[in-house]
Amino acid sequence: MSVQPTEHHTPEHHEEAHQGRHPSFKQYVLIAIILFAITMVEFLIIVPKALQGSAGVVAPLVILSAVKFGIVIMFYMHLKFDARMFTIVFLAGLFLAFLVGSAAIGLFGSFQPTPRAYAECNAQPFTHGGEPAGEVERPEHCQRGPKVIPTPVPPVAVSPSDGDAPVGSGLEIYTGAGTCYTCHKIESVPQAVGVIGPDQTHIATDAANRIPGMSAEEYIRQSIVEPDAYLVEGYAGGLMAPLVTAANLSEDQIDALVEFLLEQE
Amino acid sequence: MAQASGQLPHADVDHSYTTTGLNHRKLLMWVFLSSDCLFFGSFIATYMVYRGQSLVGPYPIDIIDVPITTISTFVLLCSSFAMVQALAATNRNDQRGIQLWLLATAFLGAIFIAFQVYEFNAFRAEGLKIDTNLFGSTFFTLTGFHGAHVTLGIVWLVSLFIIARKGRLGPATALDVEIAGLYWHFVDIVWIVIFTLLYLIGGFDHGPEAAHAAANWLGSVLAVVPI
Repeated sequence: MSVQPTEHHTPEHHEEAHQGRHPSFKQYVLIAIILFAITMVEFLIIVPKALQGSAGVVAPLVILSAVKFGIVIMFYMHLKFDARMFTIVFLAGLFLAFLVGSAAIGLFGSFQPTPRAYAECNAQPFTHGGEPAGEVERPEHCQRGPKVIPTPVPPVAVSPSDGDAPVGSGLEIYTGAGTCYTCHKIESVPQAVGVIGPDQTHIATDAANRIPGMSAEEYIRQSIVEPDAYLVEGYAGGLMAPLVTAANLSEDQIDALVEFLLEQE
Repeated sequence: MAQASGQLPHADVDHSYTTTGLNHRKLLMWVFLSSDCLFFGSFIATYMVYRGQSLVGPYPIDIIDVPITTISTFVLLCSSFAMVQALAATNRNDQRGIQLWLLATAFLGAIFIAFQVYEFNAFRAEGLKIDTNLFGSTFFTLTGFHGAHVTLGIVWLVSLFIIARKGRLGPATALDVEIAGLYWHFVDIVWIVIFTLLYLIGGFDHGPEAAHAAANWLGSVLAVVPI
C-alpha cells in the first residue's frame, strides 16, 4: 500500500473525516445508558438468593458482559469507524489470550485430584522453625493416605539381634531392628516417612516390574541383601549397605521383612 | 522504521511515513493493548484455575460485596463516558470542555481506586491477605494489577490536563487524547470482565463444606455441571 502522507492527511482533513465518523454527543449518551442498563440487569440477575452462584446464570452473565465489552471497543474505542487493521491487531491478542486461558483452565481443571483435594490430604500446617504442628484432621476422601499427619517419633533403640531373639513381624523389623523406616516411606506406616531411599508404599507392585525375569520376592530380597545390585533412578548407591551390615538381621528376620514388603501392593 | 518525515517541510509526528497507512503511535497503542489482553488473560486464567481450591477461609462468599462493587463499576463506566467527551471536546477545540472532561475522567478513576482501597482494607480486616489462601493470592494479584493500570491512567490524564491548561491540546493534537482514551477504555473493559467473573459469578463461591460446581469453570459455562 503506497501512502502519500502529506497530500491528503492535513490536520484539517483528518479532523473533518474523523468527526464525521464519530458518534454524536446524543449517541454517546445513548451508548452510556445502554452500558448502564446492561450492568444493572447483570446486578439484578444475581439479586435473588437462589440464583447466587448457580451455574444457570453463568451463560447470561458472560453474554451480557461480552456485549458490553463489544460496545465499548466498537464505539468508545472507535473500532467500528477506524481502520480494520486496529480491530485485527486487537482481536488477535484477545483471541490468543482466550485460547491460552481456556487451555490452562481446561488442563488444570482436568487434574485429579484437584489441588484442594490433594492439599487436604497432604498439606502440613506451617510452623516457624519447622517444629511439628501436631495432628491434622484429614477428610474422609483421603483413603490411601494416613488419616493424621504422623508426628515424628523418637528413633527406636536398635539392638543387634542374636540367635535367641524373637523374630518379630516384618513391620516390627521395618520400624525397629531393620531401621528401614528412617530412609524409606510407606504411607500406611506412620513412622516411615523417609525420603533418602525410594518410596515403598507400592513396593510389591514396583518390584514385580522392575527387572524382567526377576520376581518381586527375588528383587526385594536382593535389594535388602545386596542394596547396590540395582539402583532406582534418582537414588544414590552405597548408603544402605553399611546399614544392613550394622542391623545384622537373621535369615528369619529377612524372610519376615520380605513377606511384609510383599504385602505393600 | 524509517523516520523520514523529519526532513519534510510540513511533517510532524502524526503524519510520518508508514507502510500500513496507519498512524504509528495509534497502532503501537493497539498492539500494546493486544498484548495486555494476554497479560490480564493469564491472571484471569490463574484465578479460574485456583477457583474453589482454597483450603482455608475467608472464601469469596464471606467477604465479596457485590453491591458496593457494582457502584464502583458504574463509576468506571461514567469515566469512560467522560473520556469520549474529552476527545470530542478536543476535536471541537473546546478548551474549557477538554479540561473539564479530562479532570472528570481522572476524578472518576480516582473514586474507583478509592473503592478498591476501601475493599482491600475491608478484606484485610476480615482476614484475607495475599498469602492467606489461593483465593487471596489470585484475587489481589489480578485486581491489584488492574488497579495499577487505573492509577497509571489517572497519572496520564492529569498530565494531559496540565498540558490542556497550557492550551496545547486541540484538533491538531487530538491523537494525544485519543491514545490516552484507548488505554482508559481498555482498563474499563478489563474491569467488565473481572466484575463479571470475580464478583457476579465467582463472588458466591463457598468453602469446601458446601459442594460446589466452581471447580470446573468450563463445565459451568456450558451449564452442564450440576450445582
